[in-house]
Amino acid sequence: MKGGGMKPFEYFEANTVKEATQLLSNYGEKAQILAGGIDLIPRIRKGDIKTEYVVNIQKIPDLDHIGPDGNQGLKFGAMVKLHSLENLKAIQEKYPIFYEAIHQITSVQAKYMGTAVGNLCVATPASDVATALYALGAELKIAGVKGERTEPIEKFYLDYLRTSLKRGEMVTGVSLPKPSPGAGTSFLNLARTRSDIAKMCVAVALTVQDGICREVRIAMGAAAPTLFRATKAEGALTGQKASLQAIAAAAKTASEETRPITDLRSTAEYRKEMANVLVRRALEKALEKAKA
Amino acid sequence: MKKEIANFEINGRPYEVIVTPNMTLSELLRDSLDLTGTKHACEVGQCGSCTVLVEGKPTLSCSTLAIAVRDKAILTIEGLSQGRPLHPLQQAFIDSGGIQCGFCTPGAIMMAKALLDENPNPTRQEIKEGLGGNLCRCTGYVKIIDAVLMAAETMRKGGK
Amino acid sequence: MSEELSVVGKRLPRWGAHDKVTGAAKYLADIKLPGILVGKILFSPHAHARILNIDTSKAEKVPGVEAVVTWEDVPKKLYNPNKLDLILVHPELEFKDMYVLSEKARFVGDRIAAVAATDASAAQRALELIEVKYEVLPAVFDPMEAMKPGAPKIHDYAENNVSVHFGFPVAWGDVEKGFEQADVVVEETFRTASNHICQLEPCTCIASFAADGRLTIWSPSQHAFLHRRKLAEIFGMPEGMIRWITPHVGGAFGKYGSLSIEPVCVALAKKAGRPVKLEFSREEDFFGTESRQRFISTGKIGVKKDGSIIALQQKMIVDGGAYYTHNFSTTAVNMGGFTGLYRCPNVAADATSVYSNVPPTGGVRGYGNHEGTCVLEQLVDAAARRIGMDPLEVRLKNAKKAGDPSSTGIPMETCTFEEMIKLGAEKMGWKEKKMRKKETGTKRYGIGMGIAMDVSGAQPFTIQHRNAFIKFNEDGSANLLVNAADLGQNIIGALVQIGAETLGLKYEDIHVVAGDTDSTLYDIGQHASGGCYQIGHAVINAAEEAKRQLLQCAARRLGAPPEDLEVKARRIFAKSDPKKEVSVGEVVKEAMYNFKGEHLSISGKGSFSPTLNPPPFSVVFTEVEVDTETGTVKVLNILYVADPGKAINPATVEGQLEGAIAQSLGYVLTEDYTINKKTGVLDSDNFNTYKLVTALDMPETKVILYEKPVPSGPFGAKGIAQGAMIAVTPSIANAIYDAVGVFITDMPATPEKILEALKSRKAFI
Repeated sequence: MKGGGMKPFEYFEANTVKEATQLLSNYGEKAQILAGGIDLIPRIRKGDIKTEYVVNIQKIPDLDHIGPDGNQGLKFGAMVKLHSLENLKAIQEKYPIFYEAIHQITSVQAKYMGTAVGNLCVATPASDVATALYALGAELKIAGVKGERTEPIEKFYLDYLRTSLKRGEMVTGVSLPKPSPGAGTSFLNLARTRSDIAKMCVAVALTVQDGICREVRIAMGAAAPTLFRATKAEGALTGQKASLQAIAAAAKTASEETRPITDLRSTAEYRKEMANVLVRRALEKALEKAKA
Repeated sequence: MKKEIANFEINGRPYEVIVTPNMTLSELLRDSLDLTGTKHACEVGQCGSCTVLVEGKPTLSCSTLAIAVRDKAILTIEGLSQGRPLHPLQQAFIDSGGIQCGFCTPGAIMMAKALLDENPNPTRQEIKEGLGGNLCRCTGYVKIIDAVLMAAETMRKGGK
Repeated sequence: MSEELSVVGKRLPRWGAHDKVTGAAKYLADIKLPGILVGKILFSPHAHARILNIDTSKAEKVPGVEAVVTWEDVPKKLYNPNKLDLILVHPELEFKDMYVLSEKARFVGDRIAAVAATDASAAQRALELIEVKYEVLPAVFDPMEAMKPGAPKIHDYAENNVSVHFGFPVAWGDVEKGFEQADVVVEETFRTASNHICQLEPCTCIASFAADGRLTIWSPSQHAFLHRRKLAEIFGMPEGMIRWITPHVGGAFGKYGSLSIEPVCVALAKKAGRPVKLEFSREEDFFGTESRQRFISTGKIGVKKDGSIIALQQKMIVDGGAYYTHNFSTTAVNMGGFTGLYRCPNVAADATSVYSNVPPTGGVRGYGNHEGTCVLEQLVDAAARRIGMDPLEVRLKNAKKAGDPSSTGIPMETCTFEEMIKLGAEKMGWKEKKMRKKETGTKRYGIGMGIAMDVSGAQPFTIQHRNAFIKFNEDGSANLLVNAADLGQNIIGALVQIGAETLGLKYEDIHVVAGDTDSTLYDIGQHASGGCYQIGHAVINAAEEAKRQLLQCAARRLGAPPEDLEVKARRIFAKSDPKKEVSVGEVVKEAMYNFKGEHLSISGKGSFSPTLNPPPFSVVFTEVEVDTETGTVKVLNILYVADPGKAINPATVEGQLEGAIAQSLGYVLTEDYTINKKTGVLDSDNFNTYKLVTALDMPETKVILYEKPVPSGPFGAKGIAQGAMIAVTPSIANAIYDAVGVFITDMPATPEKILEALKSRKAFI
């Protein structure tokens, strides 16, 4: 319900990561980071988030850096906007599912304002961007008052809307590993309209060698309280001949690993079934790309 | 909560405004500066009716803290004609029939400006993609897209 | 219409366009007055509860709060916010069951109290400090449940929560016999979608009492005079003490055929002694304003093997929500549409209107005809399939013709169904596409159609009374005074075009005063697409009177009889001797400023009340592709053929049709006004949860205006906007049916439901 706009809060502009983490440490759960704001501001207005302190990180230098990392991968900072990532050739060519996940976001304004890191930190399992990064094996750079650490995205999500960030910590960047040579990737989702949050979201990466599936990553979004990899399905497919039957079986297993809910966007039954369909279709597409 | 005087540059003019941190840019424009062309239709960043340009970038002013964009060049619908008669986009929206109730119009025009600034020769599909974040309940978007195409052509021919 | 028209029929810029593109146009929330207060309403958090006590003492002490109102402060007068009780020939079933602030909470979002304060945060703080003691009652959210014995009673007078049961008064023939004689009978129960019109401007109202007690209201109402009268009755005020202003409105689509928050706003302004602006958020607009009318509709069609429709029957449960509002009228229109679209010798309909503890519905675009026609058109397709006939041929067989009565019972001067169906079929490639291979892997192609007739006003059911006034200025321009407000449909631009054409002026020569009861003559307001057809005539009448006066004055000046004179582009000249000419402005000025005592402020008043009601016709074709693995429907292409009589402004008419396509797409496929069946809370209360189509969701569309002017229309024009969705919705549903053989009997036709229907093979064939 609309209130008198947002409830009052105190506002800080951090000039360094150190300042930001110190503030976050001081105020703990009462503080929120302002990066792009497209998720935060509406939620404060609606009363979904009650915050007393807002820490603006937009002015911290170097958080908008994008570039290669030491290991032939790619890294980008917490303030890098979705729009910048979408238009980067390196991403279009080397991480096409990341590109696709961003590109299919319909609001151009949201892509200019919103950051990829901000999107990840909302920790909704229905994030297309997070699902793609999950399949790509992204790593998050985290800074806190006690120093820095790195966390693979697979450890980052603890529960619905909950990350592994401790008090005083913030994500300062993401690094993507060097893409596996010859890997085929695919991203697929279903939603009520082009602009809606996904009902089901799947990103896969498949490496095939001599006709055998060597590396299989199946990231499932909107399929459980957090993002997860369908490890049973992955295990079932790894080492198998790369065939449509093997893929179909893996997809069925992946579907069984889901714990979807019924909400106003879809039903648990439909989501479970679509997990099967999307994983199958995504793996088939990935296989085509891997072969090529 | 702290009240402070902050400097804003809006449509090329400087303003000194009393702001509190919890004020959105759209509230500042509409309530403090009487620039009511920017609209509140949803205030959750879903409809695009509040779109303005901040340093040339399309921005949902309902989801932007005013205090975070002080000292940045902001362009609203009121500033688009810049002393000319109408901007080609404004004229095109009139000529194409792309306005009905008009509530989404300022946001759509500002988004279209950002689109054409980046891509002066868009296809119909590219315009659709450019307007993906702007809802309209009246027009079905057809004549809005016509308008952007018309404006793009006028602007490429050097029309002002 | 053999003359060349110079203004009517042209794609001229809509009225008010310049203000809209520059941000200068003032909508309700943009209007500021000195000393204006912020109003906010306290809504019930309970779906059904008695109010035992309201303690406002803490709220009143919040700094900045100027007024707090509860049930104690408002007139204890029951009303129906719908304006029809004032103008219906038979208003007996327009029940009044609503108070300005409710004496009992009947849905989550019911109005309980209100606050006016100097700023929004003070108002919000005050709302939070109002202490309401509720006695929570059991609630019921579905009309079928609400009718069961033992269900909680929502309104004292309504046994089993039934407000009324009535049969279609104009039923004819004998449906029982008809169904016996039919070769095929199809019967199915449909639940229409739960839907909200979502005009982009959230509902807002301003009320301001002057020192002498005169009230000025700014409101999005479509019926300023009617709602003024209604408000006057509620507050015991004389109508003349109320000035009702309608500025630019950011979309209405029929919703503001009801009073909305004006009475609360007035109560606040009265108590505070200062102007109050009550501005809804999007969330408040969702639950606090009327949603689309809903019906549980059991439709039955009987056809002969040759395709003729021999019997039609509809039994409905009206799912109207917590208050009555438009329950009767939308149902009556639904029945009229269902029974009146085709030639059929035996028809009957009846309905039971039921209360439940959910936000009230109202009358939005289509006004029941949309819902009735959607049921009918799907039954037609199902019946066609059963007899093995092309549904297009079935429609041609039963389509009405000129001279037949429309769904209002009034004989039609024209009817273009046959031509338009054939034209559309040819442009669409219907025959070839119907025969083409449907299956490509998991995808199924389908093509469907729908037809509809709507209205140009509410004749003969209500008072329809229009007035316009025109006066000339010294420069040869004219002012047009009409009460019609610009809701986005460009009624004013159309009226200017009509006026300019009649007066021999240019479009830009007419200045408009609109939307103000103080300066314009009486008009019943905008509903049922009556504006262009009816006000258009009033404008013509006013223009002809003004022109008569003008030519009379000019005749003296030019020494030529008035019959010999003509006006074109601000000049008056004698047809027999064009050298005899004078500017309009000269004549006007001379009439104002002469020293001969022959003074005249050249002007004309025009009035109009219709006797006819020519329907606009629509024929729509839709192509879809259904993914049978995911149930997803992709709409490929929509062709819309429409007959508006004469398109006064073709761009305006096309825009209405294109917009209706988007609304129908949402209605059929994506929009779901989701009321939580356990709590009665509206779960879909903003655009992140309630999904309107974006530009990217639109298919290819083509609009063809097939103009057949009606003799009784101003320049041949009819209405078009209200009915614009009616044929689109079933065309999409029928395309899905063609693709996969299933109807989704409760819309929206989501992928989940389609997949379920495919699995259970639930196709009623």
